[in-house]
Amino acid sequence: MKHFKETLYDSICQEFRIDKLYFEHKTDFQHLMIFHNAQLGRVMTLDGVVQTTEADEFVYHEMMAHVPLFAHGSAKRVLIIGGGDGGMLREVLKHPVEHVTQVEIDQAVVDMAKEYLPNHSAGGYDDPRLHLVIADGMDFVRESREQFDIIISDSTDPIGPGEILFTENFYAAAKRCLNQGGIMATQNGVPFFQPDELRTTWKRMAPHFKAMGFYCAPVPTYYGGFMAFAWGTDTPSLRDVDPQVLQERYAGSGITTRYYNPAIHSASFALPQYMIDSLNEVN
Amino acid sequence: MAALRRILIGATPEERARYESLVEQHGSPLLLFDPSILRQQYRALTKALPGIDLYYAVKAHPNEDIIRELDALGAGFDVASAGEMDMLMELKISGRRTIHTHPIKKDQEIRDALRFGATTFVVDSIDELQKLTPYRSRVGILLRVSFRSDQAVVDLSRKFGCEPDQVPAIIHAAKGLGLHIKGLSFHVGSQCSNADKHVEAIRHCHRIMQQLNSRGSSPMSSLDIGGGFPADYTLEGLDIGVFCAPMREALAELPDDWHLLAEPGRYLIAPAVTSITTVTGKSMRHGIAWYYLDDGVYGSFSGQIFDHAYYPLQVLTEGPCQRSILAGPTCDSIDIVAEGIELPEMETGDLVIGHQMGAYTAATKTRFNSLPDAQFIHLPESSAEENY
Repeated sequence: MKHFKETLYDSICQEFRIDKLYFEHKTDFQHLMIFHNAQLGRVMTLDGVVQTTEADEFVYHEMMAHVPLFAHGSAKRVLIIGGGDGGMLREVLKHPVEHVTQVEIDQAVVDMAKEYLPNHSAGGYDDPRLHLVIADGMDFVRESREQFDIIISDSTDPIGPGEILFTENFYAAAKRCLNQGGIMATQNGVPFFQPDELRTTWKRMAPHFKAMGFYCAPVPTYYGGFMAFAWGTDTPSLRDVDPQVLQERYAGSGITTRYYNPAIHSASFALPQYMIDSLNEVN
Repeated sequence: MAALRRILIGATPEERARYESLVEQHGSPLLLFDPSILRQQYRALTKALPGIDLYYAVKAHPNEDIIRELDALGAGFDVASAGEMDMLMELKISGRRTIHTHPIKKDQEIRDALRFGATTFVVDSIDELQKLTPYRSRVGILLRVSFRSDQAVVDLSRKFGCEPDQVPAIIHAAKGLGLHIKGLSFHVGSQCSNADKHVEAIRHCHRIMQQLNSRGSSPMSSLDIGGGFPADYTLEGLDIGVFCAPMREALAELPDDWHLLAEPGRYLIAPAVTSITTVTGKSMRHGIAWYYLDDGVYGSFSGQIFDHAYYPLQVLTEGPCQRSILAGPTCDSIDIVAEGIELPEMETGDLVIGHQMGAYTAATKTRFNSLPDAQFIHLPESSAEENY
């Protein structure tokens, strides 16, 4: 194959030229490809859908890691569900956390990402703070007695192995693993093309948190405009952390970012009207 | 139907030597796949139906070598099950080049198809539409309409397809569910003797789509004319260009911006596969010569039961003919490959050749009696292929 055509939608699709195919494998769970594209660098696809590209992964990973971590301000223990490419781990480890547990269902994704997407994990898989568990994320949160300050669900889309990570049972079980003052964040698709996903998550996740909502960032290769991230916490004030406080935490951390900054952090909770209208249909 | 079966008696020494050496090399029974014939068929149908995207009906013969050959020709694939999609995925064929045409699906089947990357689905009822609602942002839907043909050997419009007059109501229901129906599909039947029913169905769908498009804001633009392109079971020299001529006329009347699809299976693969089976025993009973073969209706000849096909048979020896029966290897009395035929006397070890054996043959074989399958042999490229 000299081109990769995404298979998300029937009547439209984005197409990438494959400049070099590094890896193609049908694992027990999913069909994985990594190739080079002149404009985007290395691109990883799963089941015909773009998961991450070297050129724009920073938007996604920074926003999913730094928004909850800076909002929390003193997170010590972080749980990442999924995220086998290692990008989320890299961003989380920039914070002075004591421990990260990452639960990935497919060892092959981790091995392949370490080899072909080394800039994603940037050595994160060798960090002594990491405990990598190869297991089903649902089983882990259901059985684990550990508690975390931040839980990030960096899953695939709801059709496929990530399916269970969009169920009410998962949100409930994950909630039990959250410390007081903890925050859970999940990827929630591109609402312009997938409005049902936004509504479904709202219905299933909101009952388990005192404050549940969404924030947004545009990830270019998740085309369709803004991607939504779901956010849930029992400490509603964490949604509106004072911009000055965020600024101090950000500056104090010494973390450099390319998309995230405190102003973006605060602004990302403002939802476009089409998303608000879509959510209002639920009520 | 037995009268329709074509029996060829005798063979050239070269032909005979070739079959015998294949059996010597690989054993018996065999299914011989000649990729050059598949290519000829594909090119002939492409030429007979210009502007139509061909989606090979994988069910006709779900074999990796065949799929690979069609992949190289740029064909699309018509799939109807997770197993078929799995096979395509193993061959790294993108779901983008497939359509899922089973009108009745389990939810898991829809999800598997979407993971695989097939986004075009076929429905024929409101109930089936509702199953696609959770995936409405991703899918493209074809509504299957029933046009029954009394000339098709296999009627595929009885079990599936809505009545043409139900179309507006189903389109309306789809709108209510937030689903877009992108076009219509039909399947007039398999092994049609002429294209009259195709033409009628194309014209009828054209009218329905135009009428609905003139009212609606979201136009339908796809027409899937299904299959029904015949195999030449009587070896009379079928000209697919002539068969399709009336269809070309009807299709030429459609708007230029419509997407036209077809789901050929039988026409493409039937002549590209030839079977070899061996006489394993004989007896004379009530004045009829019985020959017991090592392949039968539970194996490669299963299409005689399920597909109502009567494959041309060839014996390699000549001589005075007598009333004969060719029986399959299982202990069941239904396992008769051919009866009421006149054959020269054969001996144990003689070969019987089945022609036009590519479609719905191995695809529907059973495990009965735990007999081994006919071995699939991919013949080497012949240098004699015609250049189109």
